[in-house]
Amino acid sequence: MSILRSTRRTLFLYRRLFGTQLKAILEYQTDFFIMIVSAVLTQLLGIVFLWVVYNRIPDINGWTFWEVVFMYAMIYLTEGFGSLFFEGTWRLGGLVNRGELDVMLLRPVSPILQVLTNGIGMNGLGNIVIGFIMIGQALTKVDLHWSFGKILIAILLILTAVAIRVSINLAANTSAFWIKNAGNAFPIMIHNLGEFAKYPITIFSMGIQLLVAVLVPFAFVSFFPAYYLFDKSTSPWIWLAPPVAAIYCGAVAYMLFRIGLRKYESAGN
Amino acid sequence: MNAWLRLPRSWRAYTGIATRSMQNTLAYRLSYVVNFASSFVLLIAMYALWNAIYAGRDELAGMSWTQMKTYLIISFISNSLLSYYSETRISGKILDGSVSADLLKPLDFQKARLAETLGSTVIEGGLTVIITFIVVLSASGILKPDFIHSLLFILSILASLLVKFGIVYIAGLLCFWSTGSLGIVWARMAVTSLFSGALVPLSFFPGWLEKLSLVLPFQGIVHTPASIYLEEVNVWGALGLLALQCVWACVLWLCGKLMWSWAVRQITIHGG
Amino acid sequence: MSFIEIRQLTKQFRQAVKEPGLAGAVKHLFSQKYVDKTAVAGINLNIEEGETVAYVGPNGAGKSTTIKMLTGILIPSSGTISVGGIDPYRNRMENARTIGAVFGQRTQLWWDIPISETFSLLKDIYEIPEALYKRNLDQFIELLGMEDFLHLTARKLSLGQRMRADLAAALLHNPRTVYLDEPTIGLDIAVKQRIREFIRASNKEHGTTVMLTTHDLGDIEDLCNRLVIIDQGSLIYDGTLAAVKDRFARERVIHFQLESADLPALREALDRMPKVTADRLERQHVSLRFDRFHITASDVASAVMRCGEVVDFRIDEPGIEHVIKQVYEGRISLDEQHAGKQTAAGTEANRR
Repeated sequence: MSILRSTRRTLFLYRRLFGTQLKAILEYQTDFFIMIVSAVLTQLLGIVFLWVVYNRIPDINGWTFWEVVFMYAMIYLTEGFGSLFFEGTWRLGGLVNRGELDVMLLRPVSPILQVLTNGIGMNGLGNIVIGFIMIGQALTKVDLHWSFGKILIAILLILTAVAIRVSINLAANTSAFWIKNAGNAFPIMIHNLGEFAKYPITIFSMGIQLLVAVLVPFAFVSFFPAYYLFDKSTSPWIWLAPPVAAIYCGAVAYMLFRIGLRKYESAGN
Repeated sequence: MNAWLRLPRSWRAYTGIATRSMQNTLAYRLSYVVNFASSFVLLIAMYALWNAIYAGRDELAGMSWTQMKTYLIISFISNSLLSYYSETRISGKILDGSVSADLLKPLDFQKARLAETLGSTVIEGGLTVIITFIVVLSASGILKPDFIHSLLFILSILASLLVKFGIVYIAGLLCFWSTGSLGIVWARMAVTSLFSGALVPLSFFPGWLEKLSLVLPFQGIVHTPASIYLEEVNVWGALGLLALQCVWACVLWLCGKLMWSWAVRQITIHGG
Repeated sequence: MSFIEIRQLTKQFRQAVKEPGLAGAVKHLFSQKYVDKTAVAGINLNIEEGETVAYVGPNGAGKSTTIKMLTGILIPSSGTISVGGIDPYRNRMENARTIGAVFGQRTQLWWDIPISETFSLLKDIYEIPEALYKRNLDQFIELLGMEDFLHLTARKLSLGQRMRADLAAALLHNPRTVYLDEPTIGLDIAVKQRIREFIRASNKEHGTTVMLTTHDLGDIEDLCNRLVIIDQGSLIYDGTLAAVKDRFARERVIHFQLESADLPALREALDRMPKVTADRLERQHVSLRFDRFHITASDVASAVMRCGEVVDFRIDEPGIEHVIKQVYEGRISLDEQHAGKQTAAGTEANRR
């Protein structure tokens, strides 16, 4: 199968599976409104925090209010994409514990694709909207020199940020193959590491910097894009780092899923 | 005295629930450790952030860096007393429909949930407090209150549990009116975080927001214990705050009771 | 080389041992014990294309685990499997195209969308050609009687409807092999019949290989020409259903309806016949239980006819369920050489 054909088929199946979920959720769930509003509320809370703090000080470690808002927004936005389009990653634990992964393994479609499309978090819509608004605000409030190339790179950075986030989600949730209880909090812990990436990571100790820049590279979702876009770096090639990190995250998530699958016991029968 | 002796018998069912809840907590100890670690991550992030914020500054909003450090720890402890799991269990029961099984039991739903919550808190909260204090006491520069304030602080932490339970319970019951999402739970967490002082000390707020926070029950969860610990109030002031917490705990309990009976009527009418 | 070849197939699971009570929970905190549980222990099996095999055994015998390894869901701890030349775990996706599976306890339908849409989604997943899809769907709807509930979501179906839809979903792409794990569990007899007919038709028409686990011995009698019994992870019988019956369903009960019988004479005659007991002995109804390896039905019948005028008679064989139950319970061993006459089929079955 040629790469082109297999990519086309993957996208086609994604659309079909996602569409199916969407139809189901629109039919059966009615309180999207509450979910979206509460997601927005949660995210606004972070902005309130920043606003309260920046009311009293002009900058943190050389970073201004809108620059930090941009990093917050990147975290929200990618979380939103993760929820809306790839919520299934968070259901992997349930699928494994109840043995429901069986059904996905019976079909001639990548189980990863099936897991990714196994749910839709409408709350993601709230995150995406508020994320884009804040990114827009931040990029206009800060005085930047835009060029065509920079716009393209900005778009690329958003795409890779989403890829990194979803890969980290998936990788963290494959822990369900090893930690076999319903209340597995490991994925939440990994998710919480994203908190560090809401701020310039230079304020943290070396250990934490290595953690969020290498081991669980959330810094490439928010900090490095900000570093490039706000011209804080002396190297013009810094924008290449996030795409590399995205490939790394994708590969690790894929490997962990494959290894985890060997541990799958199809319990709950 | 007589009444006190009779209590254990009628409460045996509830202590049973609490014990079972402790057992469950122990069974999921790995989750607990991971849960603890994941909220600890947030504490570390906040600590480093505030450290950077205070860089080159003696005080902000009337708080020194030392006070701020202490505040962060206290806020962390009072937030960790109820784990995320405990906080979502009641709404979970309603969302997945297992509440109908509870209706058949000859137990008061509200008391049973309180017993369950306190049961897991004994383990989770107890461990959290111990671990945190070990970490904190070995770290320098954390304030320690005098004896009487310490005592009042412990009382207010216990009262804060009741206040938090009241809010969690009411928000959980609200799930009867929403069809299957955690939206209400998230919204509750956001509101609680803002008005309790967990997000940022209330003194950082603009005046109107601070005043608003102080008339709401949420302040009893973090702000009250923290002010007592930091000796921002004298003994009489502390006792007043404690009384206020208790009043709120009672008011919330009664609201919860009313809402429950209303909710049950809804269930019986609609047939679950 | 057989179509399905299983060699020394073994699967072990690791289980944590927990002790009860609060004290147990505390203890578990500090030390964890594990035991390895062997679900499948070195199974060898060959299945030819087009065979219908019943895979039977008590709960926990390792039936489902074997099926899950055959479908590629579980990886074997050791041993090899080849289905049509494919290793189902290594080449799971390739294997998945050519198999269909129904797990009675678990649906593969999408819970919240209409059945008809599930089918159309499966068409895209399996890349079923339009013409084939239409033909199969029309045929399945008719054979399984699905017209009434095609527009409903799986959530709203009754168990019987769901199972029919599941079966259709599993066979829509004309799989070469079908694995059915308890396909008739909890269903009423009419639905069972319908499902059995459907499976039989598919086997006949397309030469589909069928492997079926079940507790329902009607399924076996109706569908399978071969019976494989597994217990505690090992094969204990592999042969024809008829052979099992011939060898182990030794006991018969013969019922007579008589005009009138000379009971004292009959009692005397019974004493002379080996291993014949009377379940019922009345003037007009006589039921005699005998071991057909020791005496033939005609000997019994002629003895009765000598003592009275027989109006009617009928012979009951014990059901296969009775026999298999005895095998599980270890009351009869399939390896044991019986003193009585071995039928040819039984001997052959033993050698396989």
